[in-house]
Amino acid sequence: MNDLTSPLWTNLTSRERITGTWRSALPNYQNQPSPCLNACPVNGRIAEWIGQVKKGDTKGAFVTLADNNPFPAIAGRICHHPCETACNRNELDETVGICSLERFVGDAALDQGWGFPAPPAELAQSVAVVGGGPAGLSAAYQLRRYGFRVSLYESKSALGGLMRWGIPAYRLERAVLDGEIARITAMGVDVHLNAEVGDADALAALRREHDAVYLATGASLPKKLPTLDYAAGWVVDSAEFLAAPADQQSARTGDHVLVIGGGSAAMDVARTARRLGRTVTVLTLEPEGSLPAQKVEVDEAAEEAIRFVSGAMLQSAEAGDGAVTLNCIRVAFSKGERPGAFRVDPVAGSEFALSVHTVIPAIGQDADLQRWAGLLEATGPVIAAGKDWQTSTPGIYAGGDVASMARFVTQAVGMGKEAAHAIARALAPDIARAVPAELPEVGYDRINIAYQEPHGRTHQRLTEVAERLTTFDEVQQPLSADEAKSEADRCFSCGSCIYCDNCYFYCPDMAIARLGENGYEVDPDYCKGCGLCVAECPTGSIHMAKDDNA
Amino acid sequence: MNEVKKIDYADDGQFCSGHVACAGCAEALAMRVILNSVGQNAVGVVSPSCSAVILGGHPLSSARIPFLHGTLESAAASASGIKRALRAQGKDDTTVLCFAGDGGTYDIGLQALSSAAERNEDILYVCFDNEGYMNTGGQKSSSTPSGAVTGSTPLGKATQKKNLIEILAAHRIPYIATVSPSHLNDMAAKMDKAKAIRGTKVIIVLIPCLPGWGVADHAAVSTARLAVESGVFPLLEIEDGLRTRMHPEHKIRPIDAYLAQQKRYRHLSEADRAALQAEVDANWARLSAQAAL
Ligand SMILES: Cc1cc2nc3c(=O)[nH]c(=O)nc-3n(C[C@H](O)[C@H](O)[C@H](O)COP(=O)(O)OP(=O)(O)OC[C@H]3O[C@@H](n4cnc5c(N)ncnc54)[C@H](O)[C@@H]3O)c2cc1C
Ligand SMILES: Cc1ncc(C[n+]2csc(CCOP(=O)(O)OP(=O)(O)O)c2C)c(N)n1
Ligand code: SF4
Ligand code: SF4
Ligand code: SF4
Ligand SMILES: [Mg+2]
Repeated sequence: MNDLTSPLWTNLTSRERITGTWRSALPNYQNQPSPCLNACPVNGRIAEWIGQVKKGDTKGAFVTLADNNPFPAIAGRICHHPCETACNRNELDETVGICSLERFVGDAALDQGWGFPAPPAELAQSVAVVGGGPAGLSAAYQLRRYGFRVSLYESKSALGGLMRWGIPAYRLERAVLDGEIARITAMGVDVHLNAEVGDADALAALRREHDAVYLATGASLPKKLPTLDYAAGWVVDSAEFLAAPADQQSARTGDHVLVIGGGSAAMDVARTARRLGRTVTVLTLEPEGSLPAQKVEVDEAAEEAIRFVSGAMLQSAEAGDGAVTLNCIRVAFSKGERPGAFRVDPVAGSEFALSVHTVIPAIGQDADLQRWAGLLEATGPVIAAGKDWQTSTPGIYAGGDVASMARFVTQAVGMGKEAAHAIARALAPDIARAVPAELPEVGYDRINIAYQEPHGRTHQRLTEVAERLTTFDEVQQPLSADEAKSEADRCFSCGSCIYCDNCYFYCPDMAIARLGENGYEVDPDYCKGCGLCVAECPTGSIHMAKDDNA
Repeated sequence: MNEVKKIDYADDGQFCSGHVACAGCAEALAMRVILNSVGQNAVGVVSPSCSAVILGGHPLSSARIPFLHGTLESAAASASGIKRALRAQGKDDTTVLCFAGDGGTYDIGLQALSSAAERNEDILYVCFDNEGYMNTGGQKSSSTPSGAVTGSTPLGKATQKKNLIEILAAHRIPYIATVSPSHLNDMAAKMDKAKAIRGTKVIIVLIPCLPGWGVADHAAVSTARLAVESGVFPLLEIEDGLRTRMHPEHKIRPIDAYLAQQKRYRHLSEADRAALQAEVDANWARLSAQAAL
């Protein structure tokens, strides 16, 4: 810079000094998983697609979402969203409304008619998928993305599984369900409806015809209460009730309906019956506040004037003329070790009676293991499947409710995805997706909160109760585009660089270079390893790694 | 509204890597902003201090502009002379910059600064206030706040930090500003503003000294941020010694988190902390009243 050459003057810059030798640790840029990603049953890259929503790139968000889940509009409505429970933002004010954002993206995709691209090449191998619920459809989707030929066998007259025959339309509009399924079948899935795979022999035959089979037949057998006579006209099976059209539902129920059970299915039965104009009581073993159904479902049911009798058990039922008397007793309920296990102790002298017209038990479904006996082994109540979802018969994989007690739609979607990638690793290892590396999770302590302001969550609106009870229209209303943007802005982008340049500007040693689209680079000649860049990163996208080479 | 606000000054390479500031030093961070704001048409004077060490190591320099390494007493006087010489040569547009520590400003160089301010010399004087004589091993200065332990106040300083801002305001110089390495956009904006004003401008930069204050290598910025947020170090501008503006206008937390990040306050009792909080509150109230005028 200055051309004075006298030794009195400085003539070189300090860049001659390699101060990087002072260092014992070097910052490392690495996008690590957010807590929401780890909690998400499909391991959706939530920070990434919410980042795309922030930028107004809804289409990009859809593409990112669909990498792991072809059902964003469905999941955005009915996912039990463990991601929100895990969200780092809970520590500051309130969770990010991940699920409502997912719906926003999913709805946009359906509105705009965005489809899935054709596979890069058609492959020779074929896979049979048995069962067209979320697990089977997710597997079929991922397999088609690779280019495998996929034949899907479904015993019912339409695809969707419990998303169609269980979850009512007021929680999941049928046009949404149809739209997201059609997008998958349009990829070229060979769909066989009314095509039950009847027994182990039929399944073994499918295995011979295809390079692999994915079994996703769900849990179709209702658990039964020993105290109820299921042949009686006033007892209605919950699965049949939910699957039936409204006129048949009306025909099968009297004025006062008692629903037995505290799970999602019980809430759906109760709220469906309310929409038919029935008086509804729900009887649960679990005490108030600890029902297995999602809290919103219970809250919305209570708003709809459904009466809860919690912490009680049916002992016997007597049919009188017109009405049925149910003899019940209060119980002390305690959770067991395993998920789903529990113990009840009747409280002596607490007997009481209820008088109703119809009883609908909805206490859960079991997988039909008998059907596959001799071919597939079981562990406990489900088909046994290893880490890659392979069953005891090589080449037959299983997932969803038939192979797991994690009984949620997105769990089924996640299992279908994992099995599809495992099948691909077996059939076409060169192109198959590798098992993702385990990286440390970006906890709240790695988010620099100085760059965030407290800002309450924007909740979705619900339709008024009076309006709800007259139709089967959806209760939860979508976020507007502005609301979605504002909600997306609340996401910390945990572990997902937002190119804010903080690391670049906060380095006292000018040791970080900006590489445009390629992010940032640390200059080992000058980085002293102070960790300021890491400390001032708002998203936890850099960490200090030990460096012995300096 | 909830987006991370970007830092947006341009780094033109006016401050170079390879300087010998401690790893994580906020003074180097601030020098980066300040030197890039000042640009190439500038001459500097630096008094013996950490900034002299960071700039120098003859024959190497981390600045791209020439710096005269002067004496501890005379930064403002040297700068005044340089400015007048440049003016005589018709180079009035060249910025003359001073870098000095708090020792060289609040104590030993105060006389020279006061004289320059009284004459309203056209200089831009930057005081890196790390609240002690730090490059000489961490002795107290009149800028060391009450309660803080230094090498020469092992039980904590018994008297308050000298209020240099009020002293300077009494000189009615055109511009006084405080800046913090946690607020780099604010720092760059105030530098730009100061550069455009003729007369004596003084910028006081809060520098949490890592070894001197007992702060972790990665924590200088967060410590400075806590100083701002708790009102210990209000960010302000005073024009002509009379018009005061504060931004942020509100302090949002008690001083506890700020104190907790520093070893120099570790010995404080509950009562000591309450006394410090009261001092901060009183200072803040007085400034706010002044800003409301
Ligand atoms: C009423 C109700 C409400 C629910 N609500 C929610 C909710 O809000 N959120 C949530 O996450 N989860 C909910 N669940 C759970 C969720 O629906 C299931 O966990 C999920 O659908 C399981 O997916 P799956 O693909 O394994 O099985 P299923 O959805 O049961 O699909 C299995 C499919 O296989 C077909 N099939 C069965 N046997 C054969 C055969 N032999 N040959 C050919 N096809 C066969 C079936 O007809 C069906 O279509 C609910 C469940 C119920 C019952
Ligand atoms: C008159 C005089 N006394 C003492 C010194 C030794 N000395 C050099 S730098 C310094 C400390 C200056 O402290 P400060 O101005 O706060 O700068 P810092 O080192 O904290 O950055 C001292 C005491 C000196 N150079 N001149
Ligand atoms: S703040 Fe965003 S990235 Fe972080 S856990 Fe919550 S939703 Fe996920
Ligand atoms: S701020 Fe700069 S010197 Fe410090 S660790 Fe990061 S890159 Fe290295
Ligand atoms: S500081 Fe900003 S740019 Fe740097 S890694 Fe973190 S998010 Fe990315
Ligand atoms: Mg000092």
